[in-house]
Amino acid sequence: MARLDPYTPTPAARASRVVVMVLPFVIGIACVLLSFVPVGRIFGSSNMPAFALMAIFYWAVVRPDMFPVYAVFVVGLLTDLLSAGPIGLWAFTYVLTYTIVLTQRFLIINVPFSVFWIAFLLAGFIAGTISWSIASVIYGALLPVRPVLTHVLITAAVFPLFAFLFGRIERRILPSG
Amino acid sequence: MPIREISHRISLVFMLTLAAALLLLGRAETYVFDNARQIVTDMAAPLLEIASRPVAAARRVVERTDEYAYVFDENERLRAENLRLMAWKDTALKLESKVQRYEALLNVQIDPSINYVSGRVVSDNGGPFVDTVIVNAGREQGVKSGDAVIDTDGLIGRIVSSGEKAARVLLLTDLNSRLPVVIEPGHYKAVLAGDNTDWPRLEYLLSTSSAAPGDRVVTSGDGGLIPPGLPIGLVIQTSDGYLRVQSFANREQLDYVRVLKYEFPVDVPRQDPPAALTGPAIVSPPAPPPVVVPTGEPVKPKPAAQKPKPAAAVKPVTPAKPATTGVGVTTMEPVADPDEDEPGAPPPPSEIVPNDIVTGTGTGGTE
Repeated sequence: MARLDPYTPTPAARASRVVVMVLPFVIGIACVLLSFVPVGRIFGSSNMPAFALMAIFYWAVVRPDMFPVYAVFVVGLLTDLLSAGPIGLWAFTYVLTYTIVLTQRFLIINVPFSVFWIAFLLAGFIAGTISWSIASVIYGALLPVRPVLTHVLITAAVFPLFAFLFGRIERRILPSG
Repeated sequence: MPIREISHRISLVFMLTLAAALLLLGRAETYVFDNARQIVTDMAAPLLEIASRPVAAARRVVERTDEYAYVFDENERLRAENLRLMAWKDTALKLESKVQRYEALLNVQIDPSINYVSGRVVSDNGGPFVDTVIVNAGREQGVKSGDAVIDTDGLIGRIVSSGEKAARVLLLTDLNSRLPVVIEPGHYKAVLAGDNTDWPRLEYLLSTSSAAPGDRVVTSGDGGLIPPGLPIGLVIQTSDGYLRVQSFANREQLDYVRVLKYEFPVDVPRQDPPAALTGPAIVSPPAPPPVVVPTGEPVKPKPAAQKPKPAAAVKPVTPAKPATTGVGVTTMEPVADPDEDEPGAPPPPSEIVPNDIVTGTGTGGTE
């Protein structure tokens, strides 16, 4: 007869732990999809923020263990596949930005939100510069800078809202690590 | 340094390398990635469509609110516009009958009517380097690569890849977009090239052309991919000196669009000349030389009663196999029954399609 261990988690508990572990990744994927939903047209604009970059930056700073580099790569690849741009552009941009943010993580952790926000703006500029350079090389021409700049600024402007949402999810659902 | 830290660093470097390799591979193995793109797009399209519904509803609310604010001004403006358009309607009707008459005279082949599929734009570009949207109509609805996409105001782009249920539209402003156009009224040909700005550039425009801001730009139909005569926009000149095009379609408010299933008429069916021109079978030698009338009056054929074979005056008009290139000259018959000139007469079938002559008929999408 099998011995019942009172400490063995039930299947439901195990499943919920798996769900919790992949939650940041699922949020990342949802962010990619959201960035293709024409939300901006409500306000008569076709500019969409890079929601995926917000998720990557937030989890890279707050819980890098729950958003590993593989997840970043998949999020970038999905962005590449859904957009019609060069394949690998966003995968490379996001992985490189994630790496840079990870190396500077100790500067941003436990700082006031305003500093966190400025750090995100910097990360946005880094990502914008990387992607602009790669795209310019691939297309063989200096691409206009303005769309990238607008993209980064809009992303930074919307970031506090998403940082707040991610923060709620992190504190309410995810186990402390 | 703990092992975990080392493995962490290795995985970072590995993924960076993988991403860089992907960039190179993406240039080489385009076929594989295009397929992957279509599959992912097809899978994401239903999700995007569901997500875009509340967006569309919200936008309608915003637009409605705007409209309420300006309802009186708008009413006033529409009344004035209606008056203006009524005058235009008369002109258009007159021109239409005139064109029909000329087409009948010139034996022009009327463009076949073009079928279309309506779809909704379910996604926006999602990045600063591309200008494409996804519509929820795909191969199942007969959408294929190369099809023109229009909205109520004019051309917005063309399909570049189509999956089962969704297709991707390359907008005119995208860096990869090149489109042969004609600038009216001078009929100057040019290529409309997107460069990721709001206004695509007019390239390959002859230096002798006098295209000026305000001129109308329509598709030329060169290349046979996109029907000729679709309205695109107006010529503008930007501060950098380039002639660009401000499109009629509003990029920011794309919603329902039409995908035109245009087939370039490569197989022109054999068309017999009008019944009035056909006579008995021609076996006689070439037509007699025309009579030179010093008064300059047009040469008229002698009535049938005076000549045994009136049709002999008519050159053989139907070759055994009509030309299909559309380059040829439409045959103008020297002999025509006076009745043929009546506008009410049914347009005679023609045999050759001069592509430049027939513009914009039957597109069904410009209203």
